[in-house]
Amino acid sequence: MNALPVDLALAWDSLPALLRGLQVTVLITALPLVFGLALAFPLCFARMSPRRWLALPAELFVVFFRGAPVLILLYLVYYGFGQIKALREGPLWVLFGSAFGCAILAFSLNHAAYMVEVLRGSLNAVPHGIVEASEALGISRRNVFIWVKMPLAIRYGLKAYQNEVVSFTKGTAIVSVVTITDLTAVANSIFEQTYDPFTPILCAAALYWAFVNVLRIGFDLWGRWLDRHNAVPPQEQAQQRAAVAASAGEIPVPAPRRRSGFRRPVL
Amino acid sequence: MTAVPDPGIAVSVTGLVKRYGDHAALCGVDLEVRRGEKIVICGPSGSGKSTFIRCLNALERHDAGRIVVNGIELTGDEGTVQDVRQEVGMVFQHFNLFPHLTALENCMLAPRLNRGLGKAQAQALAMKHLERVHLADHAGKYPSRLSGGQQQRVAIARALCMEPRILLFDEPTSALDPEMVKEVLAVMEELAASGVTMLCVTHEMGFARRVADRCVFMDRGAIVESGEAARFFDAPASERLRGFLAQILH
Ligand SMILES: Nc1ncnc2c1ncn2[C@@H]1O[C@H](COP(=O)(O)OP(=O)(O)OP(=O)(O)O)[C@@H](O)[C@H]1O
Ligand SMILES: [Mg+2]
Repeated sequence: MNALPVDLALAWDSLPALLRGLQVTVLITALPLVFGLALAFPLCFARMSPRRWLALPAELFVVFFRGAPVLILLYLVYYGFGQIKALREGPLWVLFGSAFGCAILAFSLNHAAYMVEVLRGSLNAVPHGIVEASEALGISRRNVFIWVKMPLAIRYGLKAYQNEVVSFTKGTAIVSVVTITDLTAVANSIFEQTYDPFTPILCAAALYWAFVNVLRIGFDLWGRWLDRHNAVPPQEQAQQRAAVAASAGEIPVPAPRRRSGFRRPVL
Repeated sequence: MTAVPDPGIAVSVTGLVKRYGDHAALCGVDLEVRRGEKIVICGPSGSGKSTFIRCLNALERHDAGRIVVNGIELTGDEGTVQDVRQEVGMVFQHFNLFPHLTALENCMLAPRLNRGLGKAQAQALAMKHLERVHLADHAGKYPSRLSGGQQQRVAIARALCMEPRILLFDEPTSALDPEMVKEVLAVMEELAASGVTMLCVTHEMGFARRVADRCVFMDRGAIVESGEAARFFDAPASERLRGFLAQILH
């Protein structure tokens, strides 16, 4: 009798298949992350535009694709578009005819809608005074965006972006409904062959966990690199330690440290 | 209306009006600033000092009147706005440094983007001006590691790197702790000696007396009184300026 709920031999044997599934999952995550982000930028500019005729369609896009469950979106794209004769005979059938293409499209639209809001929030968080200071220096609007607004917005929005990426990654597990054999689908088929209720699904969970953690570590490193302007330089850390050591015997009282841009409140 | 602008005039403002909705923040301001002149602007809160100074580099767009800066008339046209901003540096109450860039990089950004300087050239220029504000030793630090006074001096150096002919200051010392006010004013006085045209909103009366060629008193969106510093403070003509001075001097 095995005390573990996991059959280690089965786990070992299914590993190659599961890894192939993971490959599909990575691909079906990475492509929409790229396309969705690329789509989110113009949509975000439209959404933030003072012109109603630009802002309104962008807003509707966000409301629709954020509101619609991804599963339904996936069904709509995969089964719905096949009903349109013109589409079936048009050149775009390369995209709509394949399950993979449909999944990428549906996920990209969903991710873009979320990213419009993440981007908008981060751009709005950039202090107005800093933008004005750049304009006063005669820097063009385009350069202000590239060199000042975006670098700061990335810093403000990184956590929200990370959350969206992680939840999006896990959300891709539903693609098996349109016949794509991603990690979840592989685990499912192993279950159907072996009737082992735990091993394949726990192995898949472990691989998802590893994938998501690689992403998390990547984001953490990126965040730390971006936040270097708030880091305490090593020589100052040494000074602080020395000061504490010098006051040996006394109870060391840590000095309040001014983190980030210390600012008086604007009255 | 003269076709050829007088080269001796740095800033010429006539009949300037700025409205926010129904409220007129500026209602007909006239001021002519000669090249190299140091102007101090004071007045009660809400009198339109910031609005006025921000109109000069088009951070606020005016509704009526005429603004000519360095011979360039500010119209709605983006080109004139960019041209004027190349000539005019501005220092803000809250410094507004780029938090993600070091002091040196803060100073290098505009020259690199606007004047197409290479990295080495921009660096040399930035170091020159950081030295001028006595911060060469702190060039590699991020704003969050600098004191308020140091941050404001970096902001001054950043403006100087565009080598502007006119400098605007909007209450540059109001957000500073008292012990840091002095170091910033000292730098501003050194600048004043360099011959650049300065318009400075401040309530630092000692600074005004030492540096200003002319003091301007604004109230309710208009210039009420202006004159040479000693007369301005010792023999104010208008009742409103007398009241204002009594208030800030206690
Ligand atoms: N963006 C704005 N929207 C609406 N009203 C504004 C705006 N900016 C300024 N005002 C109004 O215009 C008037 C002049 O404001 P301004 O900031 O120029 O005054 P100030 O003299 O600089 O005052 P302070 O000494 O408090 O800085 C005020 O009544 C203010 O409420
Ligand atoms: Mg003001």
